[in-house]
Amino acid sequence: MSFFGKRSRGGAKGRHPQQQQGGGAGAGAGGEPLDFEETYRGYGDYGQEDGDYLNDETFGDNAELGNDFDFGHGVQQQEAVPQPPQQQPHVSYVQAAQSGIHTAQMDTSADLKPMASLWSTGPPAVQQPHILSMEEIERQQRQMQQQGFMQAPPPPPPIHPMTPQGYPVPPSDAPYQGFMQGPPPPPPATAPNAPTAPNMQQFAPNVQYGMPGQQGAYPPAFNQGAFPGMYQASSPAPVQPQGAPDRGELQSELQPQPQSQSQSQSPQPEREQRLASGQPAQLRTRLQQQQQQQRREPLSPEEQQRLQVRHAKVEKILKHAGLMTPRDKDFITRYQLSQIVTEDPYDEDFYFQVYKIIQRGGVVGESNKGLIARAYLEHSGHRLGGRYKRADIALQRMQNQVEKAVTVAKERPQKNKNKLEEEASGAGGREGVLGKVSTAMNSKTPRRQLQIPLANLRSNSEIEASELEASAKVPTPGALEEVTQSLDNVEISQKSRVRRRSSYAFSSVDHNSVLGRSGGRKFVLSLIETVYEEVLELEANLRSGKETNNQKLWDALHVNDDVYEVCPFVSMLTFDKGVKIMPRIFNFLDKQQKLKSLQMFFSELSHLNIIIISSYKTNPTPSDAQLKKIDLFQTVFLKIIVSFLSSSSNFIEIMGLLLHLIKNNNVSFISTSKIGLNLITVLISRAALIRQDTNRSNVLSSPEISTWNEIYDKLFTAMESKIVAVFPPAEYTDRVVHAAGSTAPTKYYDQAYIWQFLASLALSGKLNHQRIIIDEVRDEIFGTINAAEEMREQAKNTQGAPADDLLYRRDKLYQDLNLFLNVMGLIARDGEIAELK
Amino acid sequence: MLFFSFFKTLVDQEVVVELKNDIEIKGTLQSVDQFLNLKLDNISCDDETKYPHLSTVRNIFIRGSTVRYVYLNKNMVDTNLLQDATRREAMSEKK
Repeated sequence: MSFFGKRSRGGAKGRHPQQQQGGGAGAGAGGEPLDFEETYRGYGDYGQEDGDYLNDETFGDNAELGNDFDFGHGVQQQEAVPQPPQQQPHVSYVQAAQSGIHTAQMDTSADLKPMASLWSTGPPAVQQPHILSMEEIERQQRQMQQQGFMQAPPPPPPIHPMTPQGYPVPPSDAPYQGFMQGPPPPPPATAPNAPTAPNMQQFAPNVQYGMPGQQGAYPPAFNQGAFPGMYQASSPAPVQPQGAPDRGELQSELQPQPQSQSQSQSPQPEREQRLASGQPAQLRTRLQQQQQQQRREPLSPEEQQRLQVRHAKVEKILKHAGLMTPRDKDFITRYQLSQIVTEDPYDEDFYFQVYKIIQRGGVVGESNKGLIARAYLEHSGHRLGGRYKRADIALQRMQNQVEKAVTVAKERPQKNKNKLEEEASGAGGREGVLGKVSTAMNSKTPRRQLQIPLANLRSNSEIEASELEASAKVPTPGALEEVTQSLDNVEISQKSRVRRRSSYAFSSVDHNSVLGRSGGRKFVLSLIETVYEEVLELEANLRSGKETNNQKLWDALHVNDDVYEVCPFVSMLTFDKGVKIMPRIFNFLDKQQKLKSLQMFFSELSHLNIIIISSYKTNPTPSDAQLKKIDLFQTVFLKIIVSFLSSSSNFIEIMGLLLHLIKNNNVSFISTSKIGLNLITVLISRAALIRQDTNRSNVLSSPEISTWNEIYDKLFTAMESKIVAVFPPAEYTDRVVHAAGSTAPTKYYDQAYIWQFLASLALSGKLNHQRIIIDEVRDEIFGTINAAEEMREQAKNTQGAPADDLLYRRDKLYQDLNLFLNVMGLIARDGEIAELK
Repeated sequence: MLFFSFFKTLVDQEVVVELKNDIEIKGTLQSVDQFLNLKLDNISCDDETKYPHLSTVRNIFIRGSTVRYVYLNKNMVDTNLLQDATRREAMSEKK
């Protein structure tokens, strides 16, 4: 009767409280013990008062007990006919219920007949002679409803799903049969670890046969004629309605119908219409009307209408009620859940899990299983807590389900392996119950649109080799440079050779030439991916509390790799994703490794794509995307350097980094780029800070100071006479402001970073250094003051917000300028430079 | 599972689903399952004149296989995280 486990309760006869006798207090009257599963969802109660479920609301309080109502399933033929209405008042509830069981048993026997229409492709065979088609029944019902919903047959049993006996059970279906004779399985709620799942599997064949039966309960608009057996099954066959003269005609009319049932439309709609609205229904309703009027006051039209509405509602509710037992629902739920849940949510549900944590601000509130359970409850249309709205119990239950689903999920791979054997023994049919489940293709491994043959994934070394080959063949700037270098490199020292190389590098914004010298674009990209993999693995280990070993990551970074002309580590920073991963890499590096990689970084600064892009000399017209790149680098990588320098580096290390920068790079070129200038600023200002700091506590040793002075001299010499070059030309700044467009908060080029650089340069220098700096940038200083004063003049002539903006910009210009001037004890104010007091 | 995982984060957000028959339905994503079937609530259809039958529908269940695109707001996606998730997926496949 039921789909899955329900049958076992009543043994082979399949007594189900709801399905056996819709109105009957079947289970209750039968005194059958209710298990937890039933009472829990309120189904126990439901079974008991099923017949008068909402009756007082529906029919008023004055309805007599035993006065049962039809909820419109065309079963009036069944009930009204064998038990003429006249008998009804004298039948007690219990009797009615028992008689209900009686009818139900009869039904089962009727069900025994297989439905040919379901199993054959040809036109269905003629069924028993007096069938009403669903259309007919439907029409009669509508008719009756229109007439005021007056009849009083007991509520209909929900349509019988096919009994298993009704269908040829395949002989291989042994487990299923065996199970039916066996003891009922323990309810899942009381014994969560009981082997419920395997039981369910055994029921699989049953499910399949049950499914077609369910269709009988579809709204009649579906596929009406296709399942005449449904109604035939639930209406006792041999009884002819008395006093229904048209009935015979109607049936004879219907007899040929089954043959044409494959066409969903009746061939003679008008005639049917007439028949449906004809005698039998009217007659019966009249009888019932009389009967009811004896019992209760006539209803006013409004009340009737109200009742109709209510009736419609109740009917809606009861239409499919009890089609599935709680156990059936549990099974479905568990099956669905088993597709979703995983043992390791971080592994298989990574995006969702982490996203939720980020959204909630890093708080992991509930366990994953609880979350799934809650989400499933919320979105599956499960009534929370059933009738009693006990959401907590429902949640608990659902968590149990999730638990079990995890078990099922664990079993899954094994099952797939055994599937063939199972099919051979006939027990592997469950897969098909809820749709086609293919082993090769499921929600976890969906069909791919793109098949990338693994053979094409050559090893890194191969790629590398081919890249080098390609760069040798194609006359790229890199190759060209090699040639020019080999022509006249005999006498140039190692240092100047490097300089030369870098001076060549910045002649092209195209980063391929640089990449070509560090193993090729593909190689660098694949390196980045390797690094990502290592980082992800380290992060996963960190999260699960395992030991993290960064050796593989360090190897992947290739910081110490001398094989390539340009360090691959520096080339990685050419790509945005390479920049973005850096903070996460640094999380796993120890101090020595960080220092080593930063040394490499500063040594090869000239090859850094971002320097070339952000220098006005090599890239006078930066594009939007390039500006974004510069921004990203500034926020991500500069931050790492600053935090490293300020937290864990000492004076000597900073000097070392600065030395690496000066020794191997063209400082005056680097200082033309915003990023480069920022990097230098960071180093020298940090050094200056430490010097000032240690002045108070412990004094730097004299060799340290002299080394510092030496390095500073070197830096200054490299910059001398080119200091003014740190100011980008007006065309460049205009271009940058223009490219930043409307998204930028400011509509002018922010020169603060330049004055910061000059300030820190002056701060570390001696008086003669400062004098040289001022000499060189004098024009810029006065230019800035003039610009500021001009803005004040303009502000006087304008009103409102623009004037405020101008005044603000003027103040900003003075502020930036004074960063530098204050170092030397000067201050610019109102168009004049004065001494700082 | 990556896409399922991704769409789960869009629950309760407003998306526009374009079906393979060119109908575009805007609505709040109610739920999604492993087949990427979608449940939408409070749906509206841009082209009411062309698909008047949708004007009375409030919520809808869409079979995943009939979906062509799901348009989403840019800020509903954490692209960096998505990149990580994709890499993890690729890694787990290699193993």
